[in-house]
Amino acid sequence: MAVTKLFGAAIKRREDPRLITGRGNFTDHIRLPGTLVMAIKRSPHAHARIVRIDTSKARAMRGVVAVYTGQDLVDKLAPVPCAWLIPDSDLKLTPYRAVAVDKVRYVGDAVAVVVAEDRYVAQDAVEAIDVEYEVLPAVVDQEKAMEPGAPQLYDEIPNNLAFHWKLHVGDFDAVWNEAEVRLSRRLINHRLIPTAMEPRGALAAYNPGSGELTIWCTSQNPHVHRLLLSAVTGLPETRIRVIATDVGGGFGSKIPMYAGEMIAAAISRDLGRPIKWIETRQENYVATIHGRDHIQYVDIAARRDGTITGVRVRAYANMGAYLSTAAPGVPTWLFGLMLQGAYAIPVIHCDVYGVLTNTTPTDAYRGAGRPEATYLLERMIDILARELGMDPAEIRRKNFIPKDRFPYTTPTGLQYDSGDYEATLNRALELVDYANLRRQQAELRQQGRYIGIGFSTYVEVCGLAPSQAAGAMGFQGGLWESATVRVHPTGKVTVFTGSNPHGQGEETTFAQLVADELGVPFEDVEIIHGDTEMVPFGMGTYGSRSTAVGGAALVAACRKVKEKAQRIAAHLLEVSPEDLAFENGRFFVKGAPDRGMTFQEVALQAYLAWKLPRDIEPGLEATHFWDPVNNTFPFGCHICVVEVDPETGKVDFLKYVAVDDVGNVINPMIVDGQVHGGIAQGLAQAVYEYAAYDANGQLLSASLMDYAIPKASMLPSFTVDRTVTPTPVNPMGVKGAGETGTIASTPAVVNAVIDALAPFGIEHIDMPLTPERIWRAVRERSS
Amino acid sequence: MQITVTVNGVTYTHDVEPRLLLVHYLRDVLNLTGTHIGCDTSQCGACTVLLNGKAVKSCTLFAVQADGAEITTIEGLARDGQLHPVQEGFWEKHGLQCGYCTPGMIMTAVDFLQRNPNPTEEEIRHAIEGNLCRCTGYQNIVRAIQYAAEKMRSGS
Amino acid sequence: MKISGSYTIRAGRDAVFARLTDPQAIASCLPGVEDLNQVAPDQYEMAMTVAIGPVKGTFTGKVQLADINPPESYRMAIEGQGKPGFARGNGIVQLRAIDDQTTEIVYEGDVELGGPFAGVAQRMLGGVAKRMIEQFFSCIERQMGASA
Repeated sequence: MAVTKLFGAAIKRREDPRLITGRGNFTDHIRLPGTLVMAIKRSPHAHARIVRIDTSKARAMRGVVAVYTGQDLVDKLAPVPCAWLIPDSDLKLTPYRAVAVDKVRYVGDAVAVVVAEDRYVAQDAVEAIDVEYEVLPAVVDQEKAMEPGAPQLYDEIPNNLAFHWKLHVGDFDAVWNEAEVRLSRRLINHRLIPTAMEPRGALAAYNPGSGELTIWCTSQNPHVHRLLLSAVTGLPETRIRVIATDVGGGFGSKIPMYAGEMIAAAISRDLGRPIKWIETRQENYVATIHGRDHIQYVDIAARRDGTITGVRVRAYANMGAYLSTAAPGVPTWLFGLMLQGAYAIPVIHCDVYGVLTNTTPTDAYRGAGRPEATYLLERMIDILARELGMDPAEIRRKNFIPKDRFPYTTPTGLQYDSGDYEATLNRALELVDYANLRRQQAELRQQGRYIGIGFSTYVEVCGLAPSQAAGAMGFQGGLWESATVRVHPTGKVTVFTGSNPHGQGEETTFAQLVADELGVPFEDVEIIHGDTEMVPFGMGTYGSRSTAVGGAALVAACRKVKEKAQRIAAHLLEVSPEDLAFENGRFFVKGAPDRGMTFQEVALQAYLAWKLPRDIEPGLEATHFWDPVNNTFPFGCHICVVEVDPETGKVDFLKYVAVDDVGNVINPMIVDGQVHGGIAQGLAQAVYEYAAYDANGQLLSASLMDYAIPKASMLPSFTVDRTVTPTPVNPMGVKGAGETGTIASTPAVVNAVIDALAPFGIEHIDMPLTPERIWRAVRERSS
Repeated sequence: MQITVTVNGVTYTHDVEPRLLLVHYLRDVLNLTGTHIGCDTSQCGACTVLLNGKAVKSCTLFAVQADGAEITTIEGLARDGQLHPVQEGFWEKHGLQCGYCTPGMIMTAVDFLQRNPNPTEEEIRHAIEGNLCRCTGYQNIVRAIQYAAEKMRSGS
Repeated sequence: MKISGSYTIRAGRDAVFARLTDPQAIASCLPGVEDLNQVAPDQYEMAMTVAIGPVKGTFTGKVQLADINPPESYRMAIEGQGKPGFARGNGIVQLRAIDDQTTEIVYEGDVELGGPFAGVAQRMLGGVAKRMIEQFFSCIERQMGASA
């Protein structure tokens, strides 16, 4: 591990100066002369046959350059491929075209496209297009969609069942029959809308002369988008450049390949002019992926002493109207593999049904599968604790995988890298002053006030790896990351990383790593990301992988550079490389510190090449593709304290303590920020956010007026703390911090509210725990 | 229609369509892209600018309504290379991640601190209710504004 | 969304029924109706402006009366499409004579919105629909009062 001066320092972010002065490089800021504006006509029906599209009025409008229907684009764009083909699940692929040709399958499906001189004209023209539909019955609920007689989205996919994935480890029937305690519950993990503050968009510029397409777009993984754009447009990768320098948040929603980006590319090629498409927020809400949406049937087998002996889950995952890019992997591998959580549960039995419905497609949203697994387990363990009259902290302690069993092989086949789960629980109990809090709770109940304490002791999986495992899981890509470290003759360093941070701050943390590794000033390190023409290749930023995988690639590349520099320095100093030491950016002869060269001096010599060892090439740069040997497994304990007013159902947050262990921490300020934001999103699922559809497939929470992303006044301050258990998986010992907060906080908050309502005999309420739902539950029990 | 506005100290005269929104005027006509657009229902506040010193969501006004007004956008906040204390606070306290809501958030805070130089945490949280941030959970935004408040009080 | 309610008019049932199913009355009393033309027996085309919350739009569509059973009941279906999306309504209207000069109108139906309109306006739909229905009946009542 590199313990030097910048690793661990709360350095201010270098991305900030441009962002706080309004000089970011977001997609919609890029201007090219001659650009036309594109707008998409979307279906207002959840399920309908397109009878006729009349574009004549739109075409006749002044300023309208072209109008395309699905039929017009059939030869210009191939159907969008799905990139996660999970094996042994009877997976049925959904042929999905960017613009619908015969049938629309969700509100928001594209039916026609307008290209015009300005955005106002484009919008007018969209409204002037007349589409005649034959409306078909729609189905929204995943359980109903599987029933006989339900509306069928695709003729070739019976019962709307896209896949059925199984993971059966151990004999669940046996542990169920032997169990002293058996609990069965139905839990709903409802649908959410990611809501990155920057809507999606693209500026596609095809150069008819060179045959090259340059596309600026809102992407978490530009190289993946280049590959997919190549697949749908037929242009070779060598002729496509994807640029996504500043991206205004993603949370998973900017991973997939979508209609808008590829239509812009195809039309730019068709017209030979730059095409800009920026979605509106309302478009974003219907046509950018949603997240979660599980109905789960859970059985827990346990002994009277609180030991859990088995978990069985049957989950119905609502996939929406087609399978989005990574969607099949989310409710299967990313969910099922984590069903033992932080506990030594030996038997896991999981069946997941991926169901197509007339709704916006779902895909990876912050946490992606792990929140659904963690919520289920953390909720059920609380229900079990109450059943057994045990303290929720103690039942967790009882079931924890003990720290001396790491690395721990889970029944689902993962190898948890490192952990000390009890340490985070103990620290969190101390921070909330648990014993006192319980006493206070009892006293307040006497006065008719209801406070609740909720736990979540989670473990999650980050930096999915290695690529071989990805292949075995059917992921159509590798899960490595690349980095190129280029040292210039002056000793300044440019780093090209395949990670594509969009808020996570790697321009800063990666520079910290490089400065430490090469002993160069922080200011001398430039981090380049988000441009396929500059970065060799990259798998992108998601799944909390950038630091653990992208950072490791970077460190490995730095070490290659340093090794070469050391050989050059040794040659120039006329000693053998082993005789050199490296400190504070300088090579020197061991025992003779005066005889040495700075890293910058070596860099210059590497380029002058006047006196290099015979077997060494001039120049000083290295590339490394890092394919980790394993995933990393951050863990922790979150405790939420709330007061619930049973008269109004209102929840007040009194305290929120998060003790996370994300391994070593490069920049604590940035990690704290990631945790804060993560908690906010998970907490919002527990009590505020809900993507609601009516029975006809109309999204009711289709704008920021109705979808309750939290405002500042709706959130408490969080107390965040850490324990540090490094991982052996990468040279820095870091695990990943992007999703811990989201995964942990949802059950902590729900458990707190349910704990507060215990005197009313309330054992569970499905999320979001809005005042109305709480009030109704209290009413039901009181009457 | 012809309008004359002063933006960040520079006076412009343009012929604009009556339906052109102020935010589009700033971004598309003046090329001041620091003012962002995050929604279409005036909830998110990413487009907040100062109009005659007061924070307004520039998506709720037509450009013609700003005729004769003095506007400050995020690009005009720093003076002579010196960051405004609110900008400084956001940098110091890690008040931003992706940076998309940041310009609007900063402009709202600038207006708020003019009216309330010594706010409580609760007052700050209330003041920025019209600006949505999806990354930070607001905690460090609150700290950034507290930092700025303190700096402005001691500096002036 | 289900909508139901009742309205009492001080007029005899036969007269109320006749007025309610009279295209002229519908055209003049349905709020926001700009144009109503008969295209078939009991079927009309219309243009109608509706505002719900922040969204306002003009819809063009059809009004269809069915199962006309004077003076007791009839069905009414409205279907419109416009810039902000589409709206559909379908309901049954029943008339009960309370006495010779008083009629109670009981209505029950389903209203559905689609497209951007649905996303923004659904929350306020119940209140707006009810208000529009009441405006319609009170207008009918006023007209009958004036003609009586």
